Amino acid sequence: MIKVKNNKVIANLAKRSFQSNPTRNCIAIFAIALTTMLFTTLFTITGTILHSYQQATFRQVGGDFHGGFKYITKEILDTLSKDPLIKESGARLILGMPADVPFHKAHVEVSYMDEVCVKSSFCIPDVGSLPKEGTNEMACDTRVLKLLGIEPKIGQQITITYRLGLDTNSAKSVTDTFTLSGWWNYDAASYASHIIVPLSYANNTLASYEKIHEKDKTGSWTLNVYLKNAAHIEDDLNTILERNGYQSKDQSTNNYIGIGINWAYVGAQLSQNIDAGTFILILLLLLLIIFTGYLIIYNIFQISVSNDIRFYGLLKTIGTTGKQMKKLILQQALLLSTLGIPIGLLLGYLCGNILAPVIMSTLSYKNVFVTTNPLIFAGAILFSLVTVFISCKKPGKIASKVSPIEAVRYTERTNVKKTNRKNKEHLNLFQMAFANLSRNISKTVLVVISLSLAVVLLQLTVLFTNGFDMEKYLQKNVVSDFIVANASYFQTNADFFSQETALPEEVIKDLEEQGTFTDSGRIYGATSNIKEFTEKDWYYQLHGKYNDKDTVTQMLEGEDTKEGLVTDDAQLYGMEKYPLDQLTVVEGDLSALYDSSQNAIAAVYHTDDYNVLEPDSHWAKVGDQVTLRYVDTMEYYDPQTGEVVTDITNVDEASLALRPSTYRDITYTVAACVTMRHSMSYRYYGTDAFVLNAKVFQKDSNTSGIMTYLYDTTKETNAAMEAFLKDYTENIEPTLDYESKQSYMDEFKEFKNMFLLLGSVLSAIVGFVGILNFLNAILTSIMARQREFAMLQSIGMTGKQLNQMLVFEGLIYTAFVIGISLILSLIMGPMFRKVLESILWFFTYRFTLLPIIVVTPIFILLGIVLPLVSYRFSSNHTIVERLRKSE
Amino acid sequence: MNILETQSLTKIYGSGETMVHALDDVNLEIKRGEFVAVVGMSGSGKSTLLHMLGGLDRPTKGSVHVDGKEIFQLNEEQLTIFRRRKIGFVFQNYNLVPILTVYENIVLPIQLDGNIPDKAYLDQIIHTLGLEQKLNNLSNNLSGGQQQRVAIARALAFKPAIILADEPTGNLDSKTSQDVLSLLKVTSQKFGQTIVMITHNEEIAQLADRIIHIEDGKIVGGALA
Repeated sequence: MIKVKNNKVIANLAKRSFQSNPTRNCIAIFAIALTTMLFTTLFTITGTILHSYQQATFRQVGGDFHGGFKYITKEILDTLSKDPLIKESGARLILGMPADVPFHKAHVEVSYMDEVCVKSSFCIPDVGSLPKEGTNEMACDTRVLKLLGIEPKIGQQITITYRLGLDTNSAKSVTDTFTLSGWWNYDAASYASHIIVPLSYANNTLASYEKIHEKDKTGSWTLNVYLKNAAHIEDDLNTILERNGYQSKDQSTNNYIGIGINWAYVGAQLSQNIDAGTFILILLLLLLIIFTGYLIIYNIFQISVSNDIRFYGLLKTIGTTGKQMKKLILQQALLLSTLGIPIGLLLGYLCGNILAPVIMSTLSYKNVFVTTNPLIFAGAILFSLVTVFISCKKPGKIASKVSPIEAVRYTERTNVKKTNRKNKEHLNLFQMAFANLSRNISKTVLVVISLSLAVVLLQLTVLFTNGFDMEKYLQKNVVSDFIVANASYFQTNADFFSQETALPEEVIKDLEEQGTFTDSGRIYGATSNIKEFTEKDWYYQLHGKYNDKDTVTQMLEGEDTKEGLVTDDAQLYGMEKYPLDQLTVVEGDLSALYDSSQNAIAAVYHTDDYNVLEPDSHWAKVGDQVTLRYVDTMEYYDPQTGEVVTDITNVDEASLALRPSTYRDITYTVAACVTMRHSMSYRYYGTDAFVLNAKVFQKDSNTSGIMTYLYDTTKETNAAMEAFLKDYTENIEPTLDYESKQSYMDEFKEFKNMFLLLGSVLSAIVGFVGILNFLNAILTSIMARQREFAMLQSIGMTGKQLNQMLVFEGLIYTAFVIGISLILSLIMGPMFRKVLESILWFFTYRFTLLPIIVVTPIFILLGIVLPLVSYRFSSNHTIVERLRKSE
Repeated sequence: MNILETQSLTKIYGSGETMVHALDDVNLEIKRGEFVAVVGMSGSGKSTLLHMLGGLDRPTKGSVHVDGKEIFQLNEEQLTIFRRRKIGFVFQNYNLVPILTVYENIVLPIQLDGNIPDKAYLDQIIHTLGLEQKLNNLSNNLSGGQQQRVAIARALAFKPAIILADEPTGNLDSKTSQDVLSLLKVTSQKFGQTIVMITHNEEIAQLADRIIHIEDGKIVGGALA
């Protein structure tokens, strides 16, 4: 085949054709920019969320290095760091941790880090510099300074006491005074705070310290590494070890070196962050954008080709090949893309950075890390170009297939072949408008569906959030206006209730001094071990829910038996009058529990989310005898031999078991079966629960640890109490925390608003796409009919009549959209109700057509305004010019 | 009596170096019932003249009187209404509305004016043009010759003062052209209809009662009745 050098000619033709179509170009550039913008926005948001998640994970892990070798000597460190698989490495020498007040609740590490390590651990000082060698300088994060109560200022003298010897009992305490050389902001996501000291100081300190324990981490080095490839971190780390004669598998041998892999890099990370639903959502949005972009760009080129068909016919006549013709169109499209895409990228990036924090706040991420990852832009460019290419395909094909003779006679074909319309005596502009819409049924249907989809989505969102029933939610969760307890009580992963987390009586006094209580009461919790006696079958049933049978059997071996019953841990509450009032009696009579002279007990049953009693959630029935074992002391024993072990200093604790040594058994009669709301319970489950009178509880258990204090205040003083508690728990007793009715209401509103926001954003996007399709359909149909309109005007159709016809077209769209939305909403409402009521226990179906009612006037307005504006925009030529256009 | 009259009709496109006198001081008179052909080479200004006569375009200078009315004193909207009542167009490319049936196309100008078509008159036109069988067809399913007949019927429907035909046979083969032209001639005689036809073909022009020659925007013969 002869290769002809005709690229220049084609390029020139493309350029000329391009220049002769300024209106088309404007619309096409706008469409391409819009498509790119949507892609960029989507990618920026996804990218920012992923990036922020990874950054948060890095901070949680403590660095962005790929992995590390733990607790090695300087010699090993030097050897390993030279391995060719390692791109860069940072070393850290661990000294110890301060453990005394004010550091007793914070994890703070004192160590030396080299520069790479500082960088990878996010410890580069924001103010000042790293400590200089040979000085007593130190750098730390703002949390350390805050805990110490020291104002961040370079040169501050800071005295810190910390322990050398991280895991041994024989820790050596060191107190030194440092000069603050710099600090960085503490990130709430990170677990540990750091104090960085110079290597010279670390070596001096370690010189006078002797390791007692083999596993003592003080004085050991950690080598954090960046590998050349992050794809197989674990394999690479092991390879490095093997090459140097070490391994990470067997701890008992002396060539063992522990490795750490930064799980922020683990390959499955992405799929873990993005669940299937999110993935599908992103995929759908991508398709939606491609589709929208395609529709607009395709239409523009399609019309442009139809309008210029004689031009293409001419080209064909003089010997332009089909391939060249396609190229001609593609080159114009690319030219338009080079103008449209950059605009889109810029707008999309701005849009994404505005929207990402909003969306992330609903996903409860704390910190937003803006990313300028080139992949975002590369992806957006790629997808935009793909959209442009697909859009040009068919118009290119039409142009390339055009026969010179046909081109001269070309008029856009309509699909309608026959009509049954009766000829009417009067002109019906409405009928004409209707016929115009049926010219391209698929386009009309598409516009109607895309707009209806937005309305239905909005309708469902509102139906959904409208059904959030605050009453149901509060009824289930809220017991009293306020609950005060130790902060750990309110945390989901906190330790079990103990004497340390009990509420001091003085606090209650402080609260009562506010003088606005209407009702109040204490709930005592068990701070010593309390056991019940139950049947073996029940034991299996209860613990079998969370464990397999063998484990339960093993657990059972540790329990005591008496008269055919086995002991099992039990939750016991001691309640004063007010909390007792809050219990729901299922069976029996609670009055005996108000009397401290009676031996009455209540068994606590569970309910499901819909407040339906689960009758099998407890074994005790009204009238049953319940024996509780109050354990006063425990002892260690060897489960193999059963022998009591008294001295545990030299024994591995894990090989021992605990059992009660002294205890008292007391029997009660079940007076009532009750249920209680989650917010007044221990907030953890797994054992049978009982309620006693507060005084009986204190007397029999010999403990009086107050778990929670519940109280109501007068309506007028609720806000003041809330403010008081907020200040009190933040500044006076920071170990305490509280929950209020208001906080539940706020939480619920926030929850509801999150869905409202997400749903509205989604509806807005779909609606935006729908309106674009609408505008596009109207604009392109007007552009395509320019000559027809000119002809209609030449035979005497006035501008007013023409506008009227176009408005009818717009209104027919609107009518269809509203009609279909209404029908779909009416059909889907009840279906939606069933699904939601089964998923959300606080959902109460309340039907509303408010969204459709609100949207209708907007759509009517659009139906009127869009055609008028489009016509005005496209009809700035005289009739003669437009009549001539294709001659 | 002159149904159509122009005075010093001038149309200038562009300015300075690129200034073109598409029409240069044209004075023209056409009597009621005349069938006039305007003949000229391409670029001679004949189409511009037709557009001016039909009020589709405005002149740079001069006036056009149709049925005694100075049409360029009307505003756009008035002009459009005047056009649909007084002027019928027949275009080279038919210019029918594809979504409308043949009948709907024919009566469109009447209906646009809010009137009810004169059934008897319409039947006569439709019969004359031989469109009885096609009335319920969509216009773009017809052949070129049929489409042009529909266009002629549409132009006749309002009983306009003049029919302006712009190369009405330009897209038709010679046999069909003959048919269409004889139909035009017949309608001119039968309905006493004034027709101004533009063509570049002298042979076709011979069918007309009078031939006006136009060259470089100037009338070089046949201007006066």
